[in-house]
Amino acid sequence: MSGGKEKKSSRSSKAQGWEEAGSEFYQESYPGDQMDNIHRDPSKLATLLPSKQRVATNRRGRQAQEFKTTRRRNSTLTATRTFRRGSHYQEIQVATLPDLSENLINESQTWEEIREIKAMPVHMAQKRELKNQLQNATKLRLQGFEQIKWKRRKAWQKIMTKWSEYLTKMELWRSSLKTIEGNFGTGVVAYFVFLRWLMVLNLLIFTIIFMFIILPQLVLIEPKDLPCDPNAPPVFDEKRSTANESIWIYANTSVQCCRETYLNEIKHNRSEFSILHLFQGTGFMEKTFLFYGMYTHQIYGYDPLANQQQQSYGSNSYNEGTSFMSNRNLDNFIVDENNSTNNNSTPFMNALLNFSDNNNITTTDLTNFTTWREFFSKLDIYYDLPLAYIIVTIVCYLYILVSIVKAVAHEFKDRLVEGEGQFYQYCNLIFCGWDFSLHNQKSAQIKHKALFNEIQGLMHIKRYEFERNNRTRDIMFKLILIRVLINILVFIILIVCAAVIFILFNISLSVIEPNFETVTRYRSFNVFMGQIKKFSSGTSELDQQFKILFYEFLPYLCIVIFNLLVPILFNYLIQFEQYSPLFVIKMNLFRTIGLRLSSLAVLISRFYYLISAKNENSNTECFNESYGTPMCWETFIGQQFYKLFIIDFATHILVTFFVNFPRAMIARHMNNAFARFIEMDFELSKHVLDVVYSQTICWLGTFYAPFLPAIAAVLIFFMFYIKKFACLVNSKPSTILYRASRSNSLFMIILLLSFSISIIPVVYAIAEIMPSRSCGPFRGLNSVWERAINAFEKLPKLLQDIIFFFGTSSFAIPCFIVLILFLYYYYSVSAANKHMVQVLKNQLVLEGHDKQFLLNRLSLFIKQQQEYQKRIQRQFYDQASTTTNSQQSQGINMDTIPPPLLPRAPRSETGSNDRSERSSIEIKHHSRMSKDIGDI
Amino acid sequence: MGNKVVTFTHEQLDNYQDCTFFNKKEILKVFKKFRNLAPELIPLEMTTPESVKIRMPKDRIVKLPELIENPFAERVCESFSKDGYGNLNFEEFLDCLSIFSENCPRDLKIYYAFKIYDYDGDDFISESDLRQVLKDLTKNELTNDEHQKITEKIIEEGDIDNDGKLSFLEFETVLKRSPDFINTFHIRI
Repeated sequence: MSGGKEKKSSRSSKAQGWEEAGSEFYQESYPGDQMDNIHRDPSKLATLLPSKQRVATNRRGRQAQEFKTTRRRNSTLTATRTFRRGSHYQEIQVATLPDLSENLINESQTWEEIREIKAMPVHMAQKRELKNQLQNATKLRLQGFEQIKWKRRKAWQKIMTKWSEYLTKMELWRSSLKTIEGNFGTGVVAYFVFLRWLMVLNLLIFTIIFMFIILPQLVLIEPKDLPCDPNAPPVFDEKRSTANESIWIYANTSVQCCRETYLNEIKHNRSEFSILHLFQGTGFMEKTFLFYGMYTHQIYGYDPLANQQQQSYGSNSYNEGTSFMSNRNLDNFIVDENNSTNNNSTPFMNALLNFSDNNNITTTDLTNFTTWREFFSKLDIYYDLPLAYIIVTIVCYLYILVSIVKAVAHEFKDRLVEGEGQFYQYCNLIFCGWDFSLHNQKSAQIKHKALFNEIQGLMHIKRYEFERNNRTRDIMFKLILIRVLINILVFIILIVCAAVIFILFNISLSVIEPNFETVTRYRSFNVFMGQIKKFSSGTSELDQQFKILFYEFLPYLCIVIFNLLVPILFNYLIQFEQYSPLFVIKMNLFRTIGLRLSSLAVLISRFYYLISAKNENSNTECFNESYGTPMCWETFIGQQFYKLFIIDFATHILVTFFVNFPRAMIARHMNNAFARFIEMDFELSKHVLDVVYSQTICWLGTFYAPFLPAIAAVLIFFMFYIKKFACLVNSKPSTILYRASRSNSLFMIILLLSFSISIIPVVYAIAEIMPSRSCGPFRGLNSVWERAINAFEKLPKLLQDIIFFFGTSSFAIPCFIVLILFLYYYYSVSAANKHMVQVLKNQLVLEGHDKQFLLNRLSLFIKQQQEYQKRIQRQFYDQASTTTNSQQSQGINMDTIPPPLLPRAPRSETGSNDRSERSSIEIKHHSRMSKDIGDI
Repeated sequence: MGNKVVTFTHEQLDNYQDCTFFNKKEILKVFKKFRNLAPELIPLEMTTPESVKIRMPKDRIVKLPELIENPFAERVCESFSKDGYGNLNFEEFLDCLSIFSENCPRDLKIYYAFKIYDYDGDDFISESDLRQVLKDLTKNELTNDEHQKITEKIIEEGDIDNDGKLSFLEFETVLKRSPDFINTFHIRI
């Protein structure tokens, strides 16, 4: 709000300035020697225009503003301010005596002024002089708190400059960006800056995950879980049982036993090292912390075994891992167990990390521990990893959301300002068209050409519009028909793609997972699949492996190939639709996003189908084996996204270096139509989509593969170089003018779109889908979110009540009303501002008219004056000969000068009313003056 | 390290840092660029007041890789030089690149952009200035008629007080609304 007010005040002060300048003009210009100048040369009047009176105006304005200007601290300068500052210096030059001596300022203000010197539009020598002046000027010393505050700010500033110096040294890809900018302009470089931004974002996300999930898992010793005892009696499952049916968990499906089965499985079947596993995420990779499955469901520092002994063997004993989380107050346990003196119940966050001061570890003890792990095990640290897992996930997604929204909001603000700029199309193109950063001859030529095209396009846009409006009905009808048909076609293509991906996924699953075949629903496929199986059952071991690899990657290959080829088809189809060029880009982008997201959607729905299947005999099996559900489906999904990510990256490498590079080489060394055909532009939107797509995969998979952001960061790092190669070597500068502002908002909006879409399945999975019983931090729970709810239930009653209150209608309704009121308030403020802008604009136009009118009057008047004086002179000579007629002739002269016309009737607008009145008075005043002069 | 020639004194660097949008590192970088244009003209040691005053002729500065393809390169030099012929000494050169740097506020950039586009230096962007801008921008590919049309359009858009030319204030209003200006009026050093 303050910004708006400031602007308004500056506007009004400017308007005042104009008026002042106007009055000054009439007061000062007439009496005095300037009169002679005007008489000699009427064109000198231009120097008296209000816009020329800036210095004088600002001197006045400044006195009023002085207080404000020195007070403001931030270095972000508003327009008027810089301007004032600039003129301030001119003023110093003019007045030779600086104002500074008049009202003593203190050190802090001097310091501020010195910092603002750089924003003055004067030469360096003058700036230096001014700085010296300011430094040597007498100034008040600050005292007490003010002094400290100033010192602190000064120190902070120093640190910031040091930091910026350090940053310039460290800035990644600085020279690369410069080369790209020099060759392709700011629009393309914005893309590379965006890549860098994404990489940093991924790194930050990974840092958070690493600190709170991976590091504890690595450093802390996982407490021993209860042993699997297959002979124990079944346990009643309170959570899942309803009134109608009671669910019992049998011993062999307890969390512990499922875990053991799973571990055995991966130990025996998937332990051999193979390079293929590296790309698939299977085998030994499955046993690493790369995937969700290996994270513990235990609370570090809490030993369920010891705890079990303390407790009497109850019916719950098998399901301990589950039940103690859901049913008991964990904190009390911990406190009891340690016989800790501080019995304060640790609230929510403290439950994560609870240092007990009971175990005194001295420094001598430290040397006794051979490893850090031992050290940590002796330290009584409680770390609730499952809870941390949830919180970190939420924090990460929120952080991503905030950083994207921040960027979008920034762009949006620019957009709003730009909204008014649509009236300045030509100015925009001419004054901002040239990219000052270009320094490559070829691209400069292309830029010249592109600007030329754009200018011509802009000039012809009127004609296009005319043509479009005057299309005959037949043509119109034909066009609409074509558009509808093509849209249907596009839709069909999308569906076909989705179906193909779906089928291929089924095939690949049926080969890899033998159980899948038994699924009755796909009987029709089974014959087909049986044949495939026959085909795939190769002779040698290696052959077999490669075949499995092929099938495993088949759907992903298909997705990637579609992503490559279908956009070309769309590109071809859109030609027939005859959209305007700008709309073509948008439409194509929209369709391609549709393609990419639909393929992902198919993939996810397939996963969902696999894992969400209701297991009828869930109490006897750990997982739905008959349905082909993987043992640890979270890891399975993590693997799939990992695979997709890797293969996506691999295709970028392949396409860039092995398809497009030869293409570009051929195009460069041949000089015919074919070469021109295969030559490539750097199509920004396509490359943006590539990156956003892989980022979407990363976001989808982060929950199931915590290392994915790190992998994404590394791959984006390499992607930068791949894209740089694609940009500098493979393509030539595009003839489309990419505006940095436009493309930036484009990136962010696409990113926001895909983020909000990718978050839906993740949230659904967290809230609804039952985690597998054999792996992961949430094994044995009904949903991941249940863990958060359990933690919430452990909060103190008061806090719980408060949070509950937020959910009730007694809070929501008043809140809603207040929000609506605020909304209305801001809406009306903005409407009023808009109106104000309109009024001021009108006023400005009228001022212009007034000025024009007055100037005309004035020059007319001056001409008359000159003529009059000539005549006087002539008469004077005449008088020399005949002195008798002098009195008479002067009388006649007076009559021949027509009184200057009155200005046009006062206009209806209030703003101009008093202006024109005033000017009419002014004119009258002048006419009187002219008479006076005449009399003399 | 001890043998290294001191290009600038601490005081000089401090002054430059206070007067431009560069930090010390960048100032030295700019100096390197400046000196590379004519190593025989510019001494390595810039501590004396005379050395700072040495002017680099315009035709040399225009050869700067960052400016060589810029159609307004000569105007840029002329706008920043004190002597009006486009010859720059180091301080003016530094000033110039500082204005084109990222940290420079928009208003200051607009001020100099106005200077650059104001070919005849009469503090107005008149039709003749606009013609010149267009000629430089499109390498003289537009016809006379188109020139006429475009200049008319521009003045129609930007001219608020109907005097047939753009004053600084009008120019400022136009460019403040332009989203691209801050991006294009920028030279990475």
